[in-house]
Amino acid sequence: MLIFVLKRVAFAILTLLVASAVAFILVHLSGSTPGGVALGQSATPEQVRDYNAAIGWYDPWVVQYANWVGQVLQGDLGVSLIDGRAIDADIAKRLPVTAALAILGTAFSALLGITMGVAAAVRGGIVDRTITVISGIMLSLPAFWVGVLLVYFFSVKARLLPATGFVPFHVDPEAWARSLVLPVLTIALTAAAGIARQTRASMAEALTQEHLRTLRAVGTPTTRIIYVHALRGASLPILASIAIQFIVLFGGSVIIEVLFALPGIGQAMQAAVGSADLPFVQALVLVATLVVVVVNLALELLTLALDPKLRAS
Amino acid sequence: MTVSTTSIVRPRRTDRRIGRMVLASPTALLSLTWLIGLVAASLSAPLWLAYGPLDQDLTAVLQGPTAAHPLGTDELGRDLLSRIVTAAAPTMFIAMLTPIVGVAVAIPLTLWAARSRRAELVTNRVAEIVLSLPGMVIIMAVIAAVGTNMVVVMSIFGLLLFGAIYKVFFGQAKSLHQQLFVEAAAVDGVRPMRASLRHVLPNMSTTVIVQFVLIFGVGIGMQAGLAFIGLGPQPPEPTWGGMIQAASKFIFQQPWMMVPTGGVLALTIIAANALADVLSGGAAKPPPLISLRRRRLPDAGNAAPAEPVADRELVIEDLVIGVDDGPQLVTGVSLRVAQGTVMGLVGESGCGKSVTSYAMLGLLAPGLSVRSGRIQWGGLDLARAGESTLQRVRGHEIAFISQEPARALDPMFTIEWQLAASVRRLRNVGRREAKLVAARLLTDVGIVDVPRVLKSYPHQISGGMAQRVAIALALAGTPSLLIADEPTTALDVTVQAEILDLLRSLVAERGMSVILVTHDLGVVADICDTVSVMYAGEIVESGSVRDVLLQPAHPYTMALLASDPHTIAELDDTPRLASIPGQVPAPGAWPQGCRFAERCRFTSIECRSPIPLDARVVGEGVVRCIRRDDVQGREQEWRAPSGAGGRS
Repeated sequence: MLIFVLKRVAFAILTLLVASAVAFILVHLSGSTPGGVALGQSATPEQVRDYNAAIGWYDPWVVQYANWVGQVLQGDLGVSLIDGRAIDADIAKRLPVTAALAILGTAFSALLGITMGVAAAVRGGIVDRTITVISGIMLSLPAFWVGVLLVYFFSVKARLLPATGFVPFHVDPEAWARSLVLPVLTIALTAAAGIARQTRASMAEALTQEHLRTLRAVGTPTTRIIYVHALRGASLPILASIAIQFIVLFGGSVIIEVLFALPGIGQAMQAAVGSADLPFVQALVLVATLVVVVVNLALELLTLALDPKLRAS
Repeated sequence: MTVSTTSIVRPRRTDRRIGRMVLASPTALLSLTWLIGLVAASLSAPLWLAYGPLDQDLTAVLQGPTAAHPLGTDELGRDLLSRIVTAAAPTMFIAMLTPIVGVAVAIPLTLWAARSRRAELVTNRVAEIVLSLPGMVIIMAVIAAVGTNMVVVMSIFGLLLFGAIYKVFFGQAKSLHQQLFVEAAAVDGVRPMRASLRHVLPNMSTTVIVQFVLIFGVGIGMQAGLAFIGLGPQPPEPTWGGMIQAASKFIFQQPWMMVPTGGVLALTIIAANALADVLSGGAAKPPPLISLRRRRLPDAGNAAPAEPVADRELVIEDLVIGVDDGPQLVTGVSLRVAQGTVMGLVGESGCGKSVTSYAMLGLLAPGLSVRSGRIQWGGLDLARAGESTLQRVRGHEIAFISQEPARALDPMFTIEWQLAASVRRLRNVGRREAKLVAARLLTDVGIVDVPRVLKSYPHQISGGMAQRVAIALALAGTPSLLIADEPTTALDVTVQAEILDLLRSLVAERGMSVILVTHDLGVVADICDTVSVMYAGEIVESGSVRDVLLQPAHPYTMALLASDPHTIAELDDTPRLASIPGQVPAPGAWPQGCRFAERCRFTSIECRSPIPLDARVVGEGVVRCIRRDDVQGREQEWRAPSGAGGRS
């Protein structure tokens, strides 16, 4: 058990190293240099070169990478080339926005997806076919298009909700919630389909298990058999698909954040890429990978805790 | 992922099969037409479009559909139809790069990994790392490095999808490799890579194509998404994502602008996904064991049962069970189980014993139903009872234990949890009391180490132990009748004897009745009072155990006895174990007249007419044989070598 966890942690660290190396190489392959970006158009080539030399840009890559990793390990993600602010503070400020989006989005997609999947598996027939078609369409609709349509109906037409913008929770919880309704709804409508398909497949398989007959034979109510026993049996693959959804949402939140003008890390990534803010790009790749790795690790531990057969061995 | 054997035998048929699947499905045809038509329209756009994609007309900005601009115009008066169609071909060609790169990398690595254990370790790890990279973020970092060169960006996106593609491919390649024919090719001295290319890859073609089409759709979405956030091809070049982004800015002035571009983008991705769905064979699901709906028999009206039924007595009259819209499985079965007696229900696999026993408690799987007849339990007709009536009978009055103890219990919950939950409901007691009752039940069924078993999960105990637990569960509601479907078949001989002892003591101590479904006549002789022999969905003989086993009247009963290793020892002058030629005819393929005639040694021309159940010649009970007078007492003939005995 402990060995298993240690192995997974070691693997997570390896993944982080690979991601950071990829980010480092990409940044160094780009045409921009920190000096060029930080000093702007007006700077002379000499000034740019001096700036770059001062931060070690011309050192061998291995040395620079090692330095960066060392710096990150001390909790320092560097400063933005654009405004000179500390990157870690900025990310810390943005993380709650993206986290709220991803967590709420996943929760509602899971709710919708599991409901659809269970209904399809249990009811069968026309209900199943309808849900399969609907989830196929939901799976295909681009989130940003759905988002804009929702804005049109709920903000422009009905004037029920703000179209864009974000209010931090500690400023006004109600406005915070209102600013998240449309983004979360957009996510739920487009991300639920994957969970629905997995739920349908796992649930259909769980419903063929012999022990359901035993349960019926002792008079267990059908609803309890379906929602307690069959759903519990189907839960592990469903959980995995929810975790995947969370990971995709966290990393892919950029589109939703740009669409609804939410100041999360996705929006920061878009800005950093647009302005060639190299250390920021590097830092954001690292943070996004960290989230993936942590969620994967959590999923594995949860699976271990939820599967009696795995737990025993 | 399993592969049907036919596809293995004829690998070269795959391409034709895919073609046929597309042609046979309207959805696939429509999708393919949309995708190809869009590309064709786009490539030929300069020939037929009235406006170029960049032609501005500031006198006609933000228009809805008009005769001149069927899809409207954008904020600079550019024709939306022209822009959408012009953008289509480049978008779709570039989106192809993602699956091309992803599949091109995944295939050789998959074939390599499927062949060598060491390669598998390496590639699995690599795939896992790639799967853990945040794709969207890395893609944006790539754009930071190489700019908005979509050819490069979408190719790298293909690399990032390697992990996911590999996982799908590898599962199938591995199972193909374990198939005999690849091994055989290796033994024949075909070089491993050639064997993979010749035998594994062609069989994977459907999977490869499905993945290709799916990822093509993902690539379209990714491209549009990047363009939407301003990281795609730069204006004024038309892109679908960029146009939706522009439309979102003018949503107050001209919401129409959202519709055509978004619609075309969505339809394109839907077409790709639908095509992949059709090719992968759709989303078939296995038939469930449980359903919210159940077909119910119409009320029998006032017709009372033929004979009065005592309390705690089960009488089945003329039961017919069939597959909905399909053949009948059981016809005209009648049984009687008096209180405190044990009835054996005997026959080969496929005779309808289990289905009959499921029907007694309304446990038939969805798709099967009772067509006519009665299942009289005291004053209730269980064949017509609603779910709520059955709920009151199940567990409380009639209980059921199933064939495979290891699969009869829910693997996700501890034994204590499962037992206590049933006890609480069946006995209407509190949580704490239910646990005490659960422990007592386990003691009653002869489990020694009760505390450990209570805390165990089903997979942690042996089969015999699991069957005891299943019996304890069945006893939780103090039922009067226990239906046991082959309760000892999956168990060791010594354990079998223990379970039978347990059942016997339950009958003796609690006055329970038992219906024992089995194919083992030794078990019947051991524990039953009466026995009913089933063949091909009907009762062929029934009576007291003594009469039926010692003086069988039906040739099938004789055959079963002659082929039973347990009875050989008792009827000692017979050194030979007989076998019954042929097999039970499938439901729907039953012959007219006697269903056993095909396999019977005593068949004659009379056997072709319908045969009723009649009183046995000797002893009590009934038999369904037109020649019962002739065959009585000739059971020894079944032991003669087949053929030599001849047919009389």
